[in-house]
Formats: sequence, C-alpha cells, structure tokens
Amino acid sequence: MIDKSKGLSKAKEVYANRSHRVKELKAEGKKIIGYPCMYVPLEIITALDLISYRTCGDMAEPVTEADRALPTAFCPIMRSCLDCALKAKDDFLDGIVTTHSCDPQEKTARVWESYINYSYFHFIDMPGTLRPEALEYYRGQINDFKKSLESFAGKELSSEKVKAAIRLHNRQRALVRELYELTKPEPPLISGTEILQVVKALMSLPVAEGNELLDQVISEVKGRTDGPQKKPARLLVWSSTLDDIDIMQIFEAGANVVMDESCGGIRAYRADVKLTDDPLDGLTHYYATEITCARTFREAAFGEARKDYMADLESRFGHLKHIAKEWNADGAIFLLVRYCDPFAFEMPSLKDYFDSFGIPSTYIEYDYTQGSLAPLRTRVEAFLETIS
Amino acid sequence: MYFAGVDIGSTMTKIVLTQRDHRVLSAIKGPTGPEHRQLANEVMKMALEQANLQLDEISYVVATGYGRLNVPFADRQITELTCHARGVSSLFTNVRTAIDIGGQDAKCMKINNGKMVDFVMNDKCVAGTGRFLEIIAATLGVKVEELGDISLKSTKKLEISSFCTIFAQQEVVTRLSDGENLEDIIAGLHDALASRVAGLVRRLKIEPDVVLTGGVAKNAGIVKAMKENLGCELLIPEDPLLTGALGAAILAKEYFLKAMSEGEPSPIKARRLERAMFFR
Repeated sequence: MIDKSKGLSKAKEVYANRSHRVKELKAEGKKIIGYPCMYVPLEIITALDLISYRTCGDMAEPVTEADRALPTAFCPIMRSCLDCALKAKDDFLDGIVTTHSCDPQEKTARVWESYINYSYFHFIDMPGTLRPEALEYYRGQINDFKKSLESFAGKELSSEKVKAAIRLHNRQRALVRELYELTKPEPPLISGTEILQVVKALMSLPVAEGNELLDQVISEVKGRTDGPQKKPARLLVWSSTLDDIDIMQIFEAGANVVMDESCGGIRAYRADVKLTDDPLDGLTHYYATEITCARTFREAAFGEARKDYMADLESRFGHLKHIAKEWNADGAIFLLVRYCDPFAFEMPSLKDYFDSFGIPSTYIEYDYTQGSLAPLRTRVEAFLETIS
Repeated sequence: MYFAGVDIGSTMTKIVLTQRDHRVLSAIKGPTGPEHRQLANEVMKMALEQANLQLDEISYVVATGYGRLNVPFADRQITELTCHARGVSSLFTNVRTAIDIGGQDAKCMKINNGKMVDFVMNDKCVAGTGRFLEIIAATLGVKVEELGDISLKSTKKLEISSFCTIFAQQEVVTRLSDGENLEDIIAGLHDALASRVAGLVRRLKIEPDVVLTGGVAKNAGIVKAMKENLGCELLIPEDPLLTGALGAAILAKEYFLKAMSEGEPSPIKARRLERAMFFR
C-alpha cells in the first residue's frame, strides 16, 4: 500500500488523474476557470475565490474532432487542447480565459468560444513587444480581465485581496524554485519526470493545496535515499510546452534532466510578482516581462540603425546561460513542437548562443503524437552519444 | 576475436562481421520486411555461415538502426547516427561531413577526429529519402535501381516544385500527360530530392571531405544532383549501404576492448540466436 501522505506519490496520482480534485471542488459549489497558457494572471482568479485549472492537450488521444474546426498544419498542442474540449473532457469547467500569447492560441480561442458554451469566456490581448506604450495597453487588458471576472463572480475585488493572492502565488513560485535547487546535486535528488508530475499537479489544484503538496514533496525529497541514479550527462531542456512524462522519460533514459525551461517546468515560476501599491502594476510587469516564452522578442534596445547580434542574444537568452552554468548542464536539448513558429524562429540563434559559451546543444522537433516518440528517442540518444 | 554490427534499417537489414583490424569477414544485406524485423537471428546465421564462424566466437555485438531494440543477442544498442559516423570515418580518415540517405530518413553528421560532434535528421516525413524514389519509380513503372542511369540521359532541366512525395507523384503524372520525357522528369525529381536534403544539411556547416552513404548513394543521378546542390565533391564508399553496420562492428570492438582493459569480467556472454519476441 502506497503511503498517500507522501508528496511524490500524491503528485503522481494527481498527474494521472488531473481533474479529480477540481471535480470534487465543483461538487462543493466552487467555480472552475480553465486556462490553456501560463500568461493568464491566475492571481485574479484566486483572489475571487475561483479555482484555476490548466487545460492541456493529450498526446495519447488522436485529434479527430478538432479537424472540423482548425487547419491541420497548425500547432498540434492547441489542436489537441481544442479536441479534448470538443470531446467534453473538460466539461466541468465553468469558464475559460485565453490570451494572445501566440497566434494559434488567439485563433483557437475564437473557435473555442463559438463551439463551446461556457458560462464565462474572456480573451486577454497581449502586445508582442515590451515597449512602454505596449505595457500601458497591456495594463488596460489586465484591468478589463479583472472587471469581467468580477462581474462573473458577482463581487468586487479589493486591492488587499489581490495582494493576498499574489503572496500565495509567489509562495508557490518560491517553492518551485526551491524544488529545482534539489536538482543541483550530483546525482540530482529529484528527477525531471518527478518534477513534471509535481508541476502538472500544481496546474490542477487550488494554489493553497499546491503549496502544501510542494512543502510535502520538498521535505520528502530532501530526506530521500531512493533518488535518481547518476547518468552520464546533466541536461537542460528548453521547450514551449513539455507536458507529458513519456517525453521526459526518453531524456532520462540516458541523462539526468536537471532543468526544464518550459511551461511544464520552471518558466512560470522563475520570478516573483512585485507587490506594488496598485497590485495590477506588479501583475502587468510580471506577465509582460518575467515569463521568458519565445512569444516575446526581447531585443536589447530598440530604435537602433544597426543591430548588435550578440547583445540581442544576451537579451533574449541570457537567463539560459545563467541556468546552464548554475545547474552545471553538460548539454541542452531544444524541443520544438511542430508548427510552433515563435520557438522555431529562435532555434538557429539559440544554438549560436549556446555555442558561444561552449555547451553542446541540439534541437529536435516532434509533433505531439505518440508516433513521434520513436524518432525523438533516436535523436536524443544520438545527442547523448555525442556529448558523453 | 570477432565483432558484429547489426543495422536494422527501415528498408534493409545489414550485418557486418569484422576481425580486430576491422577487416570485413562477411557482409549480408537483406530486406527488412514486417517479418524480417523479428528475424535478425536469421540474417545473423547467414553472416556467420559466410564467414565460417560460430556465434560463440563473436566477442561483442552492437545493434543499430530503427530496429536496434529488436536484436535480442546484441550487447549494446547505439544509434545509427553514431554508427554511420564511425563507419564513414574508418573508411575516409579526412571526413568532416557525412550525409546518409536511407529508406525513410536523411541525416547529416559533422565529424571531428573520427567522432560525431553534431547532427541533423529529417523529421518523420519521408520527402527527401529513398521512400520518395521508391514511390515515384512505381508511379513511372521503372525499377528504383534504374532511375539513376535513366536520369543521366536527360538533356532538359525540368523543375519539379513539390518536395512532398504525394504532391510530387501528382506532379509527375501531370508532366507525363504534358508530354515531357521520362529522363527529364526523373532528373527533375532527383534535383527536388537533392535540394531537400541539401537544405537539411546546410543547417550544419558543410566542410570537406564530404561523404555520401545510404542506399540512395547508389543512384548516380542523385549523386550528380547532390554535388550540384551542395557545390562540392562527394566521396562514396564502395558499398554505401554498409557503413552503419561497419561502424557498429568497430564500436563493438572498442566497447569490448574498453571493458577488458578496465578489468571487467569478460563481456562475452552466452548467446542464443532467438527471434525477438517483443516489439518496440
């Protein structure tokens, strides 16, 4: 009998049956708000005593229903998300919040809205640059979202409530960072697969329960003697969304994944939301600038006649160099989801950047299906053979 | 002391048995069908007979290729990328770039001092691979091994604009009904394939010497088109199909000697030539 009080086995359970807890909460009368992307300010949802739940695709489920609504040569993750929604797999949701983090997401949001009748639907527009006027516009968008969700919840939010929610989410961010400290030893105390299960559990639970789970996991992992075996290489993985342990296990068959810079890993937890006088200022700053997704091009400076390529690379990817050094990575895998233009455009420059500080890297494309796992395994093994 | 490299590709299964100085004692090639995938043992028997060896005389077996997990008598599995790079660099000591066009993939390996340092591989679409030629040959009613010679007779440059195998097939049918000559159409197809592979290869910096391997390297029309598209000379091994299996056999020797020098108990294990009962 597995001791269910243990954090890791609980995370594994939540990962395997993600919607179990929110369905319980729904039966108790809570309202569940879905979101397909980490750019949705969850603090507003939490502050209104609503439950946020990340809608994910399902790699094992062939896309059939979404074909009537979306083109086929299109982000396979968004296709899979919409497919799951059309098959009523997320029918416990009361509403959904989407954002213009990338074009497929924006277009899918429109289709989603017209095909499925949620009680609440909101779309947050997002600028593609970090210029001051853009941030001003984005602040308006966050304010609109707050007002629209207030009207759905039937109550108004005080500044204090939003600040309390920010503290709670910041606590979660700090705990995830603490968890990633535990991959620094050699061998790491926790595997990439286990962390992915934990992070996906966090996206499936109310934030306070997620924080409890993290506390449990961290104390369990610190004291464990059955941690991962040392493998020939320590890997940094960079991707848009990495949400399936089948993929992580391919990496971990021959390496220790010590850092996952994707939105199934540390990306949404790397920084804190600043507690500003008006909490919406802190939220605006965090969601526009602190989440390092390729959807935003982080140029070093604008308005210059000639571009300094290396300065741009530092500005776009500097955090990855920092991570690679601090976690002592032997190599990096850039995992690209087919048709993900924002990430695909980064690949040649990102590889140049990693070459510049001497960490071997490779990029591998897959199409978010089980069928793409065998070619993925060959490429991962070949890369590991070159570096170890 | 003998070593075996078993390369189960998507189309062909190749086995090379070598002795310690890399001299090839036997080399067997056979089609990889749905059946043959489970029958690496049968091909191994043929290779042993040809070399007049018994299985227990083989010190170490490395399996590679798509079917590398279907070889129960292998001591180690290594990807075809590493094995090709090793095989090619044993034949051409100055190789820096190796291009392999196989039955359902195309890959390019950068090699430095005999070691693979970087690689690219096509995605799972078969455009730009041997399968493209097989399907087109069937559409045109010629044998795949005749394509090269026919295309060399071409006198007119004909653009086939589709990389996609299925679209190219449709385009070929249109060209035929337009009255174009078979040799010009095939030369156009070879150019389409070569430009697709060249695009892939250019993601890595191409440095001489450049070696071309894989079944497709036996097609003289492709070799010509590849040279034109890459703008460089290409070296081709005597048997371009065998480099993966050869590399696997050489790596088998290296792993065996390493294990021996580290004082590990002899890695020679009792093997039985059983068919793979599992399928992964």
